[in-house]
Parts: sequence; C-alpha cells; structure tokens
Amino acid sequence: MGRVGRALIWHELLERTRDRWVVVVSLLFALLASGVGLYGRGAEAEVAKLTGPSLVTLASLLVPLVALVLSHDAIVGERERNTLGLLLSLPVGRFEVVFAKLVGRSLALVAAVGLGLGAAFLVSDPGEASALLALIGPTLLLGLAFLSLGLLISTLMSRQVTAASVVVVVWFCLVFFYDLGVLGLLVATDGGLSQQTVSALVFGNPAGLYRIEMMNAFAGPDALRELGIAADLPGDGASAMLWGLWLLVPAGISGILLARRKVV
Amino acid sequence: MRGVEVRGASVRLGNVQALDDVSLSVEPGRAVMLVGPNGAGKSTLLKVLLGLVRPDFAVFEWSGRASRVDAQWKMRIGYLPEAVAFSENLSGLQLLRFFASARGVPRSRVGPVLERVGLSAAARRAIRGYSRGMRQRLGLGVAILSEPDLLVLDEPTAGLDQEGLGVLWSVIAEWRESGRMVLATTHDLALMERRMDEICVMREGRVLARGSAEDLRRSARLPHRIWLDVEGAPDARVELLCDAMRKWGKGRIERVGSRILAEVPADETLALVEIQSGFRGVVAGIRVEEPSLDVVYERLVGAA
Repeated sequence: MGRVGRALIWHELLERTRDRWVVVVSLLFALLASGVGLYGRGAEAEVAKLTGPSLVTLASLLVPLVALVLSHDAIVGERERNTLGLLLSLPVGRFEVVFAKLVGRSLALVAAVGLGLGAAFLVSDPGEASALLALIGPTLLLGLAFLSLGLLISTLMSRQVTAASVVVVVWFCLVFFYDLGVLGLLVATDGGLSQQTVSALVFGNPAGLYRIEMMNAFAGPDALRELGIAADLPGDGASAMLWGLWLLVPAGISGILLARRKVV
Repeated sequence: MRGVEVRGASVRLGNVQALDDVSLSVEPGRAVMLVGPNGAGKSTLLKVLLGLVRPDFAVFEWSGRASRVDAQWKMRIGYLPEAVAFSENLSGLQLLRFFASARGVPRSRVGPVLERVGLSAAARRAIRGYSRGMRQRLGLGVAILSEPDLLVLDEPTAGLDQEGLGVLWSVIAEWRESGRMVLATTHDLALMERRMDEICVMREGRVLARGSAEDLRRSARLPHRIWLDVEGAPDARVELLCDAMRKWGKGRIERVGSRILAEVPADETLALVEIQSGFRGVVAGIRVEEPSLDVVYERLVGAA
C-alpha cells in the first residue's frame, strides 16, 4: 500500500472515532455489555454461565449496527461533500482508496468492539473470562462482514441519506427478521424445504452464522443436534471461507464499481 | 509550450457530449480562467486533467513531453473542488496533516499554510464550526499545501468574503510570479478578470473563444460607451455637436441630461474624440467605458 493509502487508514480511524453516531452506538453497546457482565457476576453460578450467551445475543444485535453506522457513508459521504474527487486527485488508485477505507474503519470497529467486550470483561465474574475471550474473534468477524456490506451500500447509493436508510433496512432484515423469514418460509412451504436448504439459509447470513457458531461454542453440539442443524454446521475451513466471502466480496465489488466508474 | 496541455479531449456521458474535441494549455507563469454556462464542460475538463473523468480520447503533455495522468502527474497538481465540505468531525489542523502525510509534505509546513489562508486561530476547532468562507479557505490550503506546479481551482471565489478573496488573489499572484500555473473555473468574471491572463469561453462541451480579456472584447465587436460631459454649455452648441456626431454615422448618439452618450465601435473612439475637439468649450470631460467582460461573455455565448 502506498503513502496515500497508509495516510488514509489513520485518517479514517481518526475521523470515524470522532463521529457522534459511532460514539453513541459504541457506548450503548459497552453500557449494555457491562450490564450483562454485572448481572452475571451477582448471580448464582448457573446463571453466571449465561453471561457469554447473553453477550452473543447483544453483540449479534448491536455489532452489525455499529459496523453499518461506521461504513455507510464511506464513499457516498465523500461524494456528497465533494471530497471524493479531492481524494482521488491524490496519487492513489481507486481500489486502494476502498481498501484503505475498509482497513481504517475496521480499526475503528475493533476499538468499538473492544470497548464493549472490554467493559463486560472488566465487570464480569473472573470465571467467565475465557468464555468472553472466545467471543472476541467471531464478534469481530461479524462486525467486519457488516462493515464490508455497508461499504458496498455506500458505493451503490448516490445520496448519504439513502445509504443511511438502506443500512437500517438491511440491519432489520438480516439481524431482526431474517430468522422469522426463514421460519415463515418453512411454514409457507409446509416443511417442504430440505434441511440443507434451511441450514444454507441460516449460515448464509453472517448474523445467523455467528449465532449458530456461538451456540455451538457455548452450548455444545448437543444443543444444535436438538435443533437438527448439527450435521450441517460448517467445519472450520468452510466457516473461514464463509466469513472470508462476507468480508471480501462486498468490499471487492465496491472497489470494482468505483474503479469502473467513468466520472467521480 | 512548456506547461500543461490537453489536446482533443472528448468525453461522452450517456447521451451528452460533455467535451467535444477540446484543447487547452496553460503556460508557466500564466493563469487561465474557464468560463461558460452550467453544463458547458468546465468542471469536466478540470476533472479530465485530474484523472477524475476518463476521457474517450485525450492527449496530455507536461513540459512538452507526452504524458499520462498517473501518480507523477497528480503529484504536480493541487486541487480545490467546487463547494468542498470536509468532514465536520475533524479540525482544520487534522485535515491538513492528513493531506500533508498523503502528499509526503513535512508536517512543519501545515502551520505556515494555515497562517497563509488565515485559519491559524481556528486550526484546532472542529470544521463543524467553520463558516462557508473558512471551509473554502481550508480547501485552498489543501490545494497549495504541496506547492504544486499547477493549481486547479473549481469556482474558488464561492463563499469567500473580502479577507478570503484577498488570500485567493495573493495565492494566484504568487503562482504566476513564481512561474507556476493556475487553471480556474468561475461564474464571477468581473471579480476574476484582473487576476487572470487568459479566458477560455466554453459552451456545450466546446471552446468558443480564447484569449486575454482584450482579445475577447475585440472579438465580441461590442461598442464602447463614450460619455461627454456638456454641463454648462449652451444648448444650441450641444445640439450642433450632437448633429455633427450623428452625421458622422458611426454609432448611436443620445443626449442624457447634461451628458451625451455615444456608443461607437472600439476602433472609432479616436475619430469621435476628434469630432468633439472641433467644438471648443462644449465638452468639459470625456469618459470611455469598455464593454464589461460579462457583456462580452453574454455576446460570445449567446452568439454561439
């Protein structure tokens, strides 16, 4: 990566960590996460074990929101402010700009997730420490997948306000209503969907993949077996590939779209 | 030509021919102003030079050498976009530091640039609190930060107050005096006229006319307005003078209160002055008005 790209990474990190919406959503995550940690600390041992799963539920809701808030204006915001042209008038490639924005905003995401999980870690029962540490990697992957998606939305939209609306819809669809949608599909088809298809639908959504992987980590394969999806749980390689696709494909398309644009 | 040149630039955007075989050059020590109605292709031409618009065809030269719009080319250009609105979350200082890092400019240059554009006192304040003129001056600071050979300014006067205009004029003057180049678009012809060496009039993606303000005035063939002050002169003598000028038949003569207005072709101005000199004691003073550049521009654009 060239000089401009490196400078842009730090610029993005600095700029994003000063955005009031990013700060508000990150603090909300930290507040709720520390609340979950505190509740687990004061509870009996059996209840304390629920700290990890409760944080998974919380993270699966809020981390995608943090990521989408972080990334939705990456390109469209610059275009609307007339600074995209200024940025691209520097000796830097368009693909490199997208990549630097992805990396810079990912660092901001790491800070936000670190703040949330760190707050929970500090206040929870020390016995839960290993469970909480196990959350860090998958939670970051979840955030990065949505960050990449937000970057693509930002490249596709021509107005920032539209991008903001679209990411809210995407958040509701993928985080809130997706599972209900899959259930609705099962009801509508009267159970006609194969188990593989249902699993593919669940694992095809990064929020679904995260929940199932975390359920496997905290409750073990027995719980998944009861749900009938243990057999379809992707192995480590397949899981890494799925996360890799979610991270790279939207950002890659974003870079290609910007690089192919005749006018910026 | 040892400066920057683009030849035959053509850009088609959908059904619109945004640029149609446009050629433009800026020589060292010169400032060129692009004018034209909205959609004339001014900004598109700037963006072609900056690599922000991919032309269907264009030949680029820098210092007489065939070139491409690559990293080396871009390093030599400083750009002020039209109505730029930087991220409000940062301070002016943080923004300039970013551009300094990106362009490989020492951080020590940021302070003097902020001082140059009159933003030293506001350097650590969030851009959120900047007025429109301050944001424009900050944009100018970004453009001059790396001391580029060519300054590309898109509507640089927009939003600037007198202080901001003063900064802009001094920057343009410095670039011309130091043998560097300025290329600017504007709708403020009257404001920019005296600061620029050449004017390039565009319309519908083509160059209609190019030259100094004087060249354009000549090519527009607009009459000069000559005001003859006849206050206190006997009415009969004034009428005789008017009759003489009307008989001359080279322009429109009109009496406006205690003055006579003569609209005559530029090359007939002296002849008219000679006519009035035959009427001693009638004319107390003469004022010659050249057509304003706005009028010249309207004639050129309207005639196309």
